Amino acid sequence: MTSTLKRNNVKISGSGERFIVFAHGFGCDQNMWRFVSPAFENDFRTVLFDHVGAGGSDLSAYDPTKYSTLGGYADDLVELGNELNLKDAVFVGHSVSSMIGVMASIKAPEMFNSLVLVGPSARYIDDGEYIGGFSRAQIDELLDSLADNHLGWSAAMAPAIMGNPDRPELGEDLTNSFCRTDPDIAKAFARVTFMSDNRNDLGKVTAQTLVLQCREDIIASEQVGEYVQQNIPNSEMVILNATGHCPNLSAPDEVVSAIKAFV
Amino acid sequence: MSELAPGDSRGTPAEDLEDLYENAPCGYLSLRPDGRIFKSNATLSNWIGFSQADLLGKKLHELLTVAGRMFYETHFSPLLRMQGFFNEVALDFVTKDGTKLPVLANAMERRDDAGNLLFTRVTVFQAAQRRRYERDLVDLRTAAEAAKKEAIAAKVLAEAGLSEEQAVAELREQFIAVLGHDLRNPLASIDGGTRMLLQEELSGRAQKIVTLMQGSVSRMSGLIDNVLDFARGRLGGGIALEANALEQLEPVLQQVVEELRVGSPGRVIEASFKITQNVYCDRSRIGQLASNLLGNALTHGAVDRPIQFLVGTTDETLELSVVNGGDPIPPEAMNRLFHPFFRGEVRDSQQGLGLGLHIASEIAKAHGGTLVVNSSSSETRFTFQMPLKPIGQDDRVGQ
Repeated sequence: MTSTLKRNNVKISGSGERFIVFAHGFGCDQNMWRFVSPAFENDFRTVLFDHVGAGGSDLSAYDPTKYSTLGGYADDLVELGNELNLKDAVFVGHSVSSMIGVMASIKAPEMFNSLVLVGPSARYIDDGEYIGGFSRAQIDELLDSLADNHLGWSAAMAPAIMGNPDRPELGEDLTNSFCRTDPDIAKAFARVTFMSDNRNDLGKVTAQTLVLQCREDIIASEQVGEYVQQNIPNSEMVILNATGHCPNLSAPDEVVSAIKAFV
Repeated sequence: MSELAPGDSRGTPAEDLEDLYENAPCGYLSLRPDGRIFKSNATLSNWIGFSQADLLGKKLHELLTVAGRMFYETHFSPLLRMQGFFNEVALDFVTKDGTKLPVLANAMERRDDAGNLLFTRVTVFQAAQRRRYERDLVDLRTAAEAAKKEAIAAKVLAEAGLSEEQAVAELREQFIAVLGHDLRNPLASIDGGTRMLLQEELSGRAQKIVTLMQGSVSRMSGLIDNVLDFARGRLGGGIALEANALEQLEPVLQQVVEELRVGSPGRVIEASFKITQNVYCDRSRIGQLASNLLGNALTHGAVDRPIQFLVGTTDETLELSVVNGGDPIPPEAMNRLFHPFFRGEVRDSQQGLGLGLHIASEIAKAHGGTLVVNSSSSETRFTFQMPLKPIGQDDRVGQ
């Protein structure tokens, strides 16, 4: 396995010709797609991966400077796409990965011809006329509160989380492991996510784009989703019956059929 | 031991399960598959101020702070769906009067045989004090990490500074050593040349000039010796001795006096030798010490007063004194007299490196001896004393 594929804990399945890449958002890891990606394995080659700092990625590759903007994550995605020779593939991004996919598709326009953005937001913080849904103070409070929820992370557990075959006794506690993140990295990722502003990137997207919007999504409201859809030239929007921010977990069937209908 | 059934005749009270639910020492919430609350207990209502009726139909995240909602949506909700439960998560409820209630929560899904979600149970415990304590720990760890980073940075800086300083010092002393060494060769040629000239027939004036040149050569030779010794001392070797008690000390000292007399015509050096014992010493080093002390007296002493050079032994010590007249050494100069590069007030032409007395005191130390100075308006007297035998030799013999 190449260093890029290992760095991002890339898992490839399926037997189709065309590639479909699933990218997880802020919070957990590629397990977010566990109820969705298998539905595509007959018609596509599915690609799952963890952003550096999350899940089974190589934590030693975490460079605070590189990942201080979403561009660092987009660069990783482009590298990964080059590694797999992706051309005219489908990109499905959840939450913040929607914008990571948008940036990657601008950097490498031939890589994806279809983008599916699940619960996207071009900017989370209100800005004049623009409604992002949050005030700066609320985002700061979130960043502060991250320290309260280590989700089982501790220095003693770190070797197991990072994969330590020499110490199997450390690998047994998988509780919360899907969302367990080094607190410093979690905080940095939260900051880069909720401070991001990709409004100027939307108009540069050339791929056909589907925005999947849930009802009652407190992270990315319908208004926020509409803004994204209206500013990406060749795009459409589907409002799901699902509620919340994670339809890939709460309503996978709805998500699967919406994506299939689009691609 | 007999087992007691609840509510039996021996007075154990029967547990009331309805009361256990309502007034348990923790809060209970049950959520429908769409996440809305359909049941809660009285304890939770007491804590957060919303009645059980108020809570019906609300979503859990509506009870949380904005930050808590975001974290719930991005972490706990997915976790619950993926692993069917979550444990020990920290949440902040917002009570009816707007205050924060920190809690720890566990949650578990109940599913039917077909795997369909029936409802989710959530249990909450007040955790204000624990959370405050954890926050303190996190703050302390953050402070400790910051302090550690600072300490490492300071250490790196200090090490860089130290090694740079060491490198500069080594370079400087190597430079001095090479310089001293290279100066000796041409000086030896001049010395040889003047000695050959003195064997020729010379005019009175030429004789005088060549004699003066000889004096300058020996003075310069002494300066170079001092520079080399100083550099060697600073390189960590100290003053090296090749000591023994077999050879005579007096001829070496005689020669030193003679050379200085030649180099300083017009000055009077009165020498007195009473060496009756063998002295365990490095003779050439003692000669260098004597030369330095005499050179100092010639430079700083009154030109019209004789310099006395007194060397003698007692049963246990060698004592060597150099006495000159003239202005006393100023009290403020006394402390620094034996420091390297200390130079008194003299005419420029007489200016040395300021190493002579320093080297002399180092030679004294290397012999286990002392070099002291007494200075008054009547005389300035440097006195070197050293034991006839090396320090500790008697002890070693005694063992």
